Amino acid sequence: MSKQNQLTEIHHSGEPYIIYKSKEGFDLYTNFSKKIILNNKNINNFLNIKYKRKIKNTDLFIGFFGYELLNNLINIKIPKQKNTIFPKGIFYKPEKKIRMCHNLRYRNKNIFKTNSFKININKDTYTKIFNKFKKKIKSGETYQIKICTKYKTKSKIDPLDFFSRLSKTNLAPEAFMIRDYNYSIISCSPENLITKKGLNISTKPIAGTVKKTKNLSKSKALNFFKKNLKESKEHNMIVDMERNDLSRICKVGSVKISKSKIVEEYKDLFHYVSLISGKLKKNIKIIDIIKAMLPGGSVIGCPKINTLKLLNKQEKENRNIYTGSFGYIKFNGDMRFNIIIRSILNFKDISEISVASGVVVDSNAKHEFNENYIKAKALIDLFK
Amino acid sequence: MIYVIDHNDSFTHNVVHQFSLFDKVECGNYNNLDIAKLEKSNVIVFSPGPGNPKDYPVTSKIYWKFKGKKKIIGICLGFQQILFCEGAKIIEQKNIYHGYQSNIQVINKKSIFKKGKKFKVGRYHSLKLKEPFKNKDFEITMRCLETKVAMSFENNKEKIYGYQFHPESFLTINGNFLIKKILST
Repeated sequence: MSKQNQLTEIHHSGEPYIIYKSKEGFDLYTNFSKKIILNNKNINNFLNIKYKRKIKNTDLFIGFFGYELLNNLINIKIPKQKNTIFPKGIFYKPEKKIRMCHNLRYRNKNIFKTNSFKININKDTYTKIFNKFKKKIKSGETYQIKICTKYKTKSKIDPLDFFSRLSKTNLAPEAFMIRDYNYSIISCSPENLITKKGLNISTKPIAGTVKKTKNLSKSKALNFFKKNLKESKEHNMIVDMERNDLSRICKVGSVKISKSKIVEEYKDLFHYVSLISGKLKKNIKIIDIIKAMLPGGSVIGCPKINTLKLLNKQEKENRNIYTGSFGYIKFNGDMRFNIIIRSILNFKDISEISVASGVVVDSNAKHEFNENYIKAKALIDLFK
Repeated sequence: MIYVIDHNDSFTHNVVHQFSLFDKVECGNYNNLDIAKLEKSNVIVFSPGPGNPKDYPVTSKIYWKFKGKKKIIGICLGFQQILFCEGAKIIEQKNIYHGYQSNIQVINKKSIFKKGKKFKVGRYHSLKLKEPFKNKDFEITMRCLETKVAMSFENNKEKIYGYQFHPESFLTINGNFLIKKILST
């Protein structure tokens, strides 16, 4: 049976499975022998993995940490919020892995009825929050903060249909999909937060995005970012913050900016990206790495702790998976995690899409509000 | 040993790595300081951090306890914290510099750096020192070339130093030199 047919068969069987972007295509993980639903009590135990030397390619846990769980892990409490009771984090132990190529040929021609999306904060409320945060920047309580808005609608979806279409228009390097009995996630995340192999660790923050047009070449995009002071300053801040987070767990003198402010080209857009890497200190455990790096700074703001507190006080609705992390931990201690952005969470037939954009001292409320909509639109369009 | 007080910042560990190039460094969180280690140290560093010196009374107490007895170095908020303890007012500035690279210059011949020397440095500060600020032991030694905002002070008598900019930032050229010099006085 071809790999494509295997995928279709697994999909139709209703069994849970996960697809994660690999270098050459996609990896499909299924036949889960364990499913661990994480909470504040069992997460420490879960992250206390004892390393094994020889491993099979399914010797790993794959899944996600939600935003709230990551906050709690670094001792930040979240006030009572509107909540859909979606699990705080889930990891799976697969028994089967199939390597797939990029081209996922799957379409579901059935049309599901979708109501239009509702946004949780309107432009006026957004502007109020924006101005409040701007004051906090002026008084030095935060240097950069991201306001999150959420779009929701009631609908049934076929996640594989969505994911196949999405990967045709936007083949993001950290794309993934989870299909379980009672929920699914479709994501075209572009951002790698942790790549760890042995003692080597790196992170690849994105700060700065510009839409591709006919006249905008890669070199012109680089020029655009370099000349745009606001984008440059935001990017600089994230680079220093990620250097800091790596420095918590890496050897002195080993944290380096391997790629500084380069432009990466995707199907529809250009990203302004840096790559920061380091060598882990001896005796650093998985949990130390997770606590030092997560939640990823580029989608929160800076400095992390105070900015998280400001955000959590402001937000009335649980972020669920948004700005959490998806990825895997291999039994030999290697790992890969992304930042969950540009994602659809479908739970109890409610689809939610969260987006955020940054407030720095010279940003503009109207522009950022619209920016949020543009980010959500590519995903909302899948429902048509 | 150098003891770094972390004011919950996202740049503190860059500071720790930079100072570690020269000596053993211990870092304690503002809310959970190790007093025994602090007592043992030769140098105390006040890290950058969000907010205003008023928010960190414990650091002010530590300043008064060890002033003149140990070398004290302040970075960004730490710079403001020391000046605040010395009676200065710390105020909001019109133009805010977050993630910004500036040219600064040594403007004082009492400085341990050569007068007229320029540096390119990274800045992350909303607040600044209100001037004029007069204190017989403290000299403002560097200023931003463009805005003239105070960027460094030195108290060479009691070995107290402060940088408003971030020597540990990747935006600062020769940041290690700037630290080495104040550590070796």
